[in-house]
Amino acid sequence: MKVTIKGYTGVAVWKWVANDDTCGICRMPFDSCCNDCKYPGDDCPLVWGQCSHCFHMHCIMKWVNGNQKSNQSCPMCRQAWKIKEK
Amino acid sequence: MVSIATARIKREFKEVVTSDELTKCKIKLELLNDNFTELKGEIGGPPDTPYEGGTYQLEIKIPETYPFNPPKVRFLTKIWHPNISSVTGAICLDILKDQWAAAMTLRTVLLSLQALLATPEPDDPQDAVVANQYKTNNKIFVKTARHWTNIYAGSTLAAEPEFDSKVKQLIDMGFDNHKSRVALSSHLWNVEHAIESLYN
Ligand SMILES: [Zn+2]
Ligand SMILES: [Zn+2]
Ligand SMILES: [Zn+2]
Repeated sequence: MKVTIKGYTGVAVWKWVANDDTCGICRMPFDSCCNDCKYPGDDCPLVWGQCSHCFHMHCIMKWVNGNQKSNQSCPMCRQAWKIKEK
Repeated sequence: MVSIATARIKREFKEVVTSDELTKCKIKLELLNDNFTELKGEIGGPPDTPYEGGTYQLEIKIPETYPFNPPKVRFLTKIWHPNISSVTGAICLDILKDQWAAAMTLRTVLLSLQALLATPEPDDPQDAVVANQYKTNNKIFVKTARHWTNIYAGSTLAAEPEFDSKVKQLIDMGFDNHKSRVALSSHLWNVEHAIESLYN
């Protein structure tokens, strides 16, 4: 597993910083990867929406790319899903 | 490889069986097979509704595409409710259709169904006969729903002895028990009209 240091926070344990500690779609904790991946980290990144909800990128892509029209909204709050650029 | 549907149901199942909130709300979940695709749900009728005291069994089928598509749920226990078919148990509830969101869980679904029992939506009916009765003859609707709770959902509260004797009248004429009850329920417990409909 390759870990990129994005910032130093003085915490010894590496952890994704997220608004909640589990992905609302696969219900896996954010320090684990989504169901399709083997290793957490860069290969299975997290994405934040403008509504501030966070998901595994692989999970939210499956939801947004589904063919129902409601899939274009955040699965947590139903606001339009737009990725928050950092 | 384990599919996301299976993995998620496994996690959800653990959450549901370990939550005391759910025992308080009289909600249960049971697995029917090892691959987590078929479950049986159970909800208690909410207090201060005609469904109080009843226990409702639900059939839950998990599609392969869960949680990107909603679970398929229907009532196994017969119920008199505007948004639930008195014939098939099919449910008209937005979150089981186009308002489903991937973050919802079986827990959300069961709690929403319980809420639906407490607050019917007669303008979006699944059973037109029941919905019409709800709007135009609410008193009879409430009594009928209570009667069904007593007969089919095992409630010991609120029997309607007058309804029982009308059903018995039809059974004595050779009609089937359930069919007689449906005919009477659909015709405001008018025996003549019910018999007429059974002959047609
Ligand atoms: Zn996920
Ligand atoms: Zn992934
Ligand atoms: Zn959101």
